[in-house]
Amino acid sequence: MTSAALTSRVGAASAAPTGGAHPPRKPGGIRRRDRIVGLLAVLPAFLVVVGFMAFPVAFALFISFTKTNGLRFEWRWFDNYIALLNDPIVHQVFLNNLKFLISVPLVIFVALIVSVLLFERVRGWKYFRVIFFLPNVLSVAVIGIMFRNAFGYYGGVNQALALFGVEPIQFFTNGTTAIAIIILALVWAGFGYQSLLLLAGLTAINPAVFEAAAIDGAGWWKRLWYITLPNIRRVLGFVFIINVIYTFSSLFGFIYVMTAGGPGFDTTTIDYLVYLRAFSSTNLGSGAALAVILFLFIGILTLVQNRVFKLGEED
Amino acid sequence: MATTEDDVVISKRISSGRTQWPIFIALLLVAATIVYPLYFVIITSFRPNSDYLQDPFGLPGVWTFENYLNLANTYGIGQAFLNSLFVGTVSVSVILVLASLAGYALAKLPVPGQKYITATFVSVMLLPGPVLIIPIYLMLARLDLVGTYTGLILVYVATGLPFATFFLTLSFRGIPDEVIEAARIDGAGFFRIMWSIVRPMGSSGLATLAVLQFLGAWNELIFAVILIPEESMRLLTPQLASIGERFLTDQPLVSAGLFITASVPLILLAFASKYIMQGLQVGVSR
Repeated sequence: MTSAALTSRVGAASAAPTGGAHPPRKPGGIRRRDRIVGLLAVLPAFLVVVGFMAFPVAFALFISFTKTNGLRFEWRWFDNYIALLNDPIVHQVFLNNLKFLISVPLVIFVALIVSVLLFERVRGWKYFRVIFFLPNVLSVAVIGIMFRNAFGYYGGVNQALALFGVEPIQFFTNGTTAIAIIILALVWAGFGYQSLLLLAGLTAINPAVFEAAAIDGAGWWKRLWYITLPNIRRVLGFVFIINVIYTFSSLFGFIYVMTAGGPGFDTTTIDYLVYLRAFSSTNLGSGAALAVILFLFIGILTLVQNRVFKLGEED
Repeated sequence: MATTEDDVVISKRISSGRTQWPIFIALLLVAATIVYPLYFVIITSFRPNSDYLQDPFGLPGVWTFENYLNLANTYGIGQAFLNSLFVGTVSVSVILVLASLAGYALAKLPVPGQKYITATFVSVMLLPGPVLIIPIYLMLARLDLVGTYTGLILVYVATGLPFATFFLTLSFRGIPDEVIEAARIDGAGFFRIMWSIVRPMGSSGLATLAVLQFLGAWNELIFAVILIPEESMRLLTPQLASIGERFLTDQPLVSAGLFITASVPLILLAFASKYIMQGLQVGVSR
């Protein structure tokens, strides 16, 4: 499951009403028994989630304040955080993440074009929808390896270039081209799902508006620019935020199978660095501190997201 | 441009018939960028490496299953496939049971502290994955569960449950109260109602959830890598990743691995695309 999908669900979660439709009033006894039955039914799921998601977050926070190899914990206050802020590798990795942000406008642009085209409901659009969605059910590992193979030294792309007499290119020994290929993979993997999100936004526009505009003589482009786009700006904003969050928290799979963070640290992202720090260093505290920083960063992004949505609702 | 009767009926279109063809062709081109790479992988997986190197873009001169046999016999891909199937099936089953109980209670029963329970589920859905890697690894190590499927299944269940519960709560709310009331008056208890009313009436939501969660478990990489270090116990996705690392120059072999790993998601999409789309649209269709 991609985190883009996960985050989008959260958007819905906060919009969903929390109060359930309770059964009609009952004599006190039965109602009390219902409360106990209800609680017992929720309890197993709740305990698993608290034990293996909520508690680990608190534990990660604790680990981040210690120097530890996983067995002995020495309390070191903010040492890990201070070390991270002064670590040139961390700076570089953060910069890498900023480079990967180029994928965000690209994915949105492609998704937007595709969703507007799908919205025309031409013959077979339902089949197109399923095809565009296809990369979304594939593992990031599968997509990553497909792209690495295609752009490898002996890969299809170089073979195709050879037909035109171009020398083979080492795409993955250069940080810039490696990032470009990963971004291409991100766009390929992500645009289908996001064009479905945008299509849902388009479908919500009142058709009468288009008809009125058409009667007034507005052409296809005018309607696109003055009606379609302004009406889906909230969905666009939402897609923008989930992409940014995805870029910061979920590139692990791509990096793991495509470049292993190399050459050097040129394609290492924050989430991949957490993994590197966690399993190849003697201090897990450093990895945990990095994860906590990432968590705070994404938390702030989410608050910004909520602000943006509130603003959208007012007008 | 005048609106005809037709345009009003299909009202959602903003184009005229004249623009239909270019749009169809544009969509066809975009579709080709997805279909062609997959076609290339599938075709390549059925040819020997020497044949591939001669003419990578043509049709295979020799068709062979050798890559698949090689993967199964030498690299244990068959076992890894079964391991993934096992972990995925058990995880999804546990998730469906726990999330159905919780979802029904949150949808239809007066659960004390409902607000806080829902808030907990919603807020852990926001967790970025990397935050969990280190603490979960240490916790499972302490419990002696690293290197066991139990530990991995526990992680998949825990990470899947918040969304699953939320999704089923919404989906079970659609079951009319009157039906449940009637069953109660007839003397049906909690489990009876779950089995005879909630399960059949919520079957669409349950199927959607099962497909999504199975895909999630099948495609997961980080936890499958770090929690199952033993090579012989590996799941399919990490096994593919390690084969992909080693055989840069044998594209047909890697392609076969890719196709095996992608096969289950592709089959699910072919037969359950309705459910997959429904599930992923929950995020936006308010």
